[in-house]
Amino acid sequence: MREATSEVPVDVGPMIGRAVEDDRVHAKLHSDPAVFAAEMERIFGRGWVFVGHESEIREPGDWVTRRIGLEPVIMTRDRSGDIHVLANRCSHRGTMLCWERSGSSNNFQCTYHAWTFGLDGSLRAVPYPQGFDKDKGDLGLDRAGAVESYRGFVFADLLGRAGPLADHLGHGAVDMLDRLCDLSPTGCVDLSAGWIGHRVQSNWKLWPESDNDGYHLNWVHASMVQAAPDTYYEEAVLGGETGNSSKATDWGDGHVELDFRPSYKTELAWLGTTRDKVAGYCDALEAARGTEVAARLLHDGPPHGLVFPNLFLGEMNIAIIEPVSPTEMIHWHTAVRLDGVDQKFNRRLLRQSEAAMGPAAFIVPDDAVTAERIQDAVRSGRGWMDMSRGLARERTGEHGERSALVSDETTNRGFWRQYRRVMTESDG
Amino acid sequence: MTVTEVERRRIEDFLTLEARLADESRYGEWEALVTDDMHYWVPAGSEAARFDLEAALDRLSYINDNRTRLATRIRQLESGKRHAQTPPSPMRRTVSNIEIVDCDRDEGTFVVESNIVVHELAAQSTHMLRIWPARVRHRLRLVDGELRMAAKYVALVEADRPQPNMTFLL
Repeated sequence: MREATSEVPVDVGPMIGRAVEDDRVHAKLHSDPAVFAAEMERIFGRGWVFVGHESEIREPGDWVTRRIGLEPVIMTRDRSGDIHVLANRCSHRGTMLCWERSGSSNNFQCTYHAWTFGLDGSLRAVPYPQGFDKDKGDLGLDRAGAVESYRGFVFADLLGRAGPLADHLGHGAVDMLDRLCDLSPTGCVDLSAGWIGHRVQSNWKLWPESDNDGYHLNWVHASMVQAAPDTYYEEAVLGGETGNSSKATDWGDGHVELDFRPSYKTELAWLGTTRDKVAGYCDALEAARGTEVAARLLHDGPPHGLVFPNLFLGEMNIAIIEPVSPTEMIHWHTAVRLDGVDQKFNRRLLRQSEAAMGPAAFIVPDDAVTAERIQDAVRSGRGWMDMSRGLARERTGEHGERSALVSDETTNRGFWRQYRRVMTESDG
Repeated sequence: MTVTEVERRRIEDFLTLEARLADESRYGEWEALVTDDMHYWVPAGSEAARFDLEAALDRLSYINDNRTRLATRIRQLESGKRHAQTPPSPMRRTVSNIEIVDCDRDEGTFVVESNIVVHELAAQSTHMLRIWPARVRHRLRLVDGELRMAAKYVALVEADRPQPNMTFLL
């Protein structure tokens, strides 16, 4: 995709460099329109961004519409099975080509002057061709410069200069995606149960923070804990700073995780159930992976972490963090279903996801109202946000990751460290 | 199939009462109107108003509460710590276009559809006045001579669009 022609009007890099310190962040980063414009350009315009999942476009011609930052895109599969991420904007006069959330078609035809594009974005037909002197090859749809997927998760790099996806994911994001997908006996997850959007009047960056904050749970989610006592939450995240052995981990490059594995006392604690209730699933996983590996997977469960900048792996839920404006965002979520398991098990996952995420669920609405209260309070652009908790007790692990107690702000610092790097690095 | 004027009047009175208790976040009194097998469902997607229960088994909904989960929802709202409804949203809704689409006098059940428009003040944070138009289907049942709700399905006009918090009783 071509670089946006209007450069960011103000170079906010130096200001951002001063606004993100090792242990605190200035609140003006959540409301300044110039900062937002620079984020759309640098984070979403030049880096790897999660777009969607291959299971959403199984057949040739299937497509879904998404945003990469503010850029509307179509993720589609062509006749050879290749996946494309195309600008959802006619190359003639700019009309949006697909205005539904998903669909299936042989091509994309603009409703304005009927220019027709192939599933790969190439311009195929222009009505009244005698008066059209340009080369059709020059007027295909804008397209992401690079598209790669890992275990079905499709990422795009609009400019195509961000390097290989593997370098972006690094050890940490790969490990998290592996741990999720390996829960399926076939190694494949299915994200086609539909996305629900949760509109929040807050800056998008409050969501990489709160989705991966291990410190707030006892207070923001007190009502859920009281209404639905659950050993899972008790084991994984509650019980105070020393009451559990979960960890907050910064994998580097902005990928962070609340690692609950050390806290789980029993297998399937992450699913809030026991083997007798889901024996078919356990048997299928053991048959596919062997008893030893299956035992580890059933104990460890799915990850809870962020793949920078916009993909939240929320255990058996997936969320996309979509910026809308400096003061508005959408938290899209869907349920993870596993390939190779029975329908009853997957329906259980769907019902659990409905309880966790979305505008009427038991958990995330309380995060949403908290984010909106923050946004209202920082509208003045004044004040610092402290994220120093546990800085002195971080330990470095074998892959260079930094970990501390689950209630430490290691995850938040990890996000902001990468943010500062991306937003302040020179253009060279 | 056709209902008597008395039955119609009772049904309309029930819908009006149910709407007022929801508007005023009188959770316990509202919950007393539901049966032991209550299904409270707010489907998502552009086809929401078809109320396709079978399809919803394999699709995400905004709300898909069986009686147990609905009880949890009410307990959460009553906990005093449900930040998303602290304070409860002031609301007023109108209920109109009431159609009794099915009735089984032997079973004592009535299926009733209506239009609602809820005006809700997001008093917890943004103080925005939100408008929630929807088609509603109630399944009502006579229990010991009193009408009760066995199902309430709410198809939002905006069911396919991102929604702000909707943690109040729709």
